[in-house]
Amino acid sequence: MYPAFDGGQLRLLKEDDIKAVHEASVQLLGEVGVKVKSKAAREVFRSNGAEVDTATEIVKIPRDLLEKAISDAPSRVILYGREEKNDLHLEKARTYLGTGGTVLYALDLETGQKRRTNTQDLRDIGKMVDALENVSFYVINTYPQNVPDEAADINRFYWAITSTSKHVMGGMYTMKGLKDAIRLAEEIAGGPEKLRERPFVSFITLMVSPLVMDGLYTEFIMEIARKGLPLAIPSEPLAGATAPVTLAGTIALNNAESLAGITLAQLVNPGTPVLYGSTSSIMDLKKGYYVAGAIESAMINAALAQMAQYYQLPMYGTGGMSDSKINDSQAGYESALTAMTVALSGCNYIHDAVGLLEMCQVFSYEKMVIDDEIIGNIFRVMRGIEVNPDTLAVDRLKEIGPAGNFLVDIHTTRHFRKEFFFPKVADRRTRIDWQAAGSPDTAKRAHQMVREILAGHKPTPVDAALRARLRRQFPEIQGEES
Amino acid sequence: MSSLEELSNAVIGGDQDAVVELTRQAIVEKVDLNSIISRGLLPGMTVVGRRFKNGDMFIPEVLMAARAMNAGLELVKPLLVDGEVPVKGTVVIGTVEGDLHDIGKNLVGMMIESNGYRVIDLGIDLEPQRFVAAVREYKPQVVGMSALLTTTMLAMKETIEVLKEEGLRDSVKVIVGGAPVSQEFADEIGADGYAPDAASATELVRRLIG
Repeated sequence: MYPAFDGGQLRLLKEDDIKAVHEASVQLLGEVGVKVKSKAAREVFRSNGAEVDTATEIVKIPRDLLEKAISDAPSRVILYGREEKNDLHLEKARTYLGTGGTVLYALDLETGQKRRTNTQDLRDIGKMVDALENVSFYVINTYPQNVPDEAADINRFYWAITSTSKHVMGGMYTMKGLKDAIRLAEEIAGGPEKLRERPFVSFITLMVSPLVMDGLYTEFIMEIARKGLPLAIPSEPLAGATAPVTLAGTIALNNAESLAGITLAQLVNPGTPVLYGSTSSIMDLKKGYYVAGAIESAMINAALAQMAQYYQLPMYGTGGMSDSKINDSQAGYESALTAMTVALSGCNYIHDAVGLLEMCQVFSYEKMVIDDEIIGNIFRVMRGIEVNPDTLAVDRLKEIGPAGNFLVDIHTTRHFRKEFFFPKVADRRTRIDWQAAGSPDTAKRAHQMVREILAGHKPTPVDAALRARLRRQFPEIQGEES
Repeated sequence: MSSLEELSNAVIGGDQDAVVELTRQAIVEKVDLNSIISRGLLPGMTVVGRRFKNGDMFIPEVLMAARAMNAGLELVKPLLVDGEVPVKGTVVIGTVEGDLHDIGKNLVGMMIESNGYRVIDLGIDLEPQRFVAAVREYKPQVVGMSALLTTTMLAMKETIEVLKEEGLRDSVKVIVGGAPVSQEFADEIGADGYAPDAASATELVRRLIG
């Protein structure tokens, strides 16, 4: 199991608030209903007792159906790695953070300029995920623009899985792409059964706010549920635009939408490992577009983590993004504040937490390293303060006494590595030493670390013969094997 | 692993009990006393210095290693012909008059000591005459002055003046340090060197004494 810490220290909702949100969501699903654009899905709802209006495509989900689905969904979902040490056990308030997207652009490592993403990015980012210790999973976060659109899915999953042995999760663009990705994963696992035993890939579907289940994405939910593979069902209401401007209203709506998706998945295949989810944020009301680094996004996700814990469902959430265009202080503080808020609420699987700039549109390698360090700081807070006679150290003070020091003491050497977080990006040198090193700013220091990882890190490979076979089977995969 | 290698490793690990035990054992087994020092105790400390420089070891570990090494040296010392372990040089340090801060100064002292120098720590709030007396008594190669307050920094200048008046300035190298101190300030008051932290202070001493 990958090392993880418990959140849950931050509680934005009171007990009564949680019940009120639940009741509001029950009311939304039972009285307003959801517009379900997939006929097959409407049939599933109808045959299980939901009220379906064929003309309007509105499905009203009654309380008992909803609550049964919540109890059928597992409280603990394991997202496996290609290697067991990378398994993620999602339950209660245990918190993991990692990548997310999906973006079309990256800041080029050579020039620093914004450029289109390609299959090499899929591989390089996978390697970075593999190397960075606070990044627990690889949500495929770039769209390769050097391959035809119909080859995007297979390239994304192939290069992600072969570049890291950590868990890989991704969204899909076509049904063929989803089926290919599953077939690919089955081949690597050694067959469909083996994949179901240890699914090292999982999938992201989505709900459309307010209260819509899209045709294609809803069919993705059903296909993945039938295969018994893990899936995240987030929704992305934007407060003030596709959701009420009040955070409570957005939270109730997001809750209802994600639960509607979970209900469908459980009706198709009870016990399907699903992640309740949110990618919610706000609309910037000065300019009229989505923003990613808003603190309210983190508050919505934090509150929804409490809802997920109330339902005992693992949660896929969002935190750690910035709307800045470069790695400046806005990039740092927005990412740190949002990631910390969501992590301390105990959201289990926080994606988008590393590498994203500019309203979730641009990936930065340097930011990925900086965010890894932000997460390290957050984990230190989550680990908390250990209080016992040894850590209170009264006996050490008895021995060392007034005016002594603790620099030369076994108590210090025994504890300092776990008591202190040791940053790698942050500069704590004196000005003299810093100037002697060429006065590098944060981005420049991070850049150096990216170079070292890309040049030196070697993820556990997928067997070469197997890769050769997959390349024959899926000729649309592009790029030389390394 | 030879027993001297084991001794080195015990120093690296800062394990004072093991260093004492292994040193005692080596003495009983009549291992050449100079070898115990030069092939057992000192090489351990050399490794520690290297690891510290690379960022693999931290100050408390370096100091624990130094303490362990010194515990070993204490056992060998009385058996040597002249009863003294050769040191690389002597450094007198202290916090200047009006200033009571000492953790930084103590740390500098410990780090210099851990590199094989004799360190005489005079303490805090030292009027210039105390430094003068110490230079006469211990004949150090280096005098290190510390100050944390901008208001007490000037006492460094005064101390250097007094050393001059007493005709001692040319017999020692004077180095200064402390949060408000800078290279410019050191140059201005006629000091021989400045270091921004304990590790660089040790480097500075090495450079000045050779």
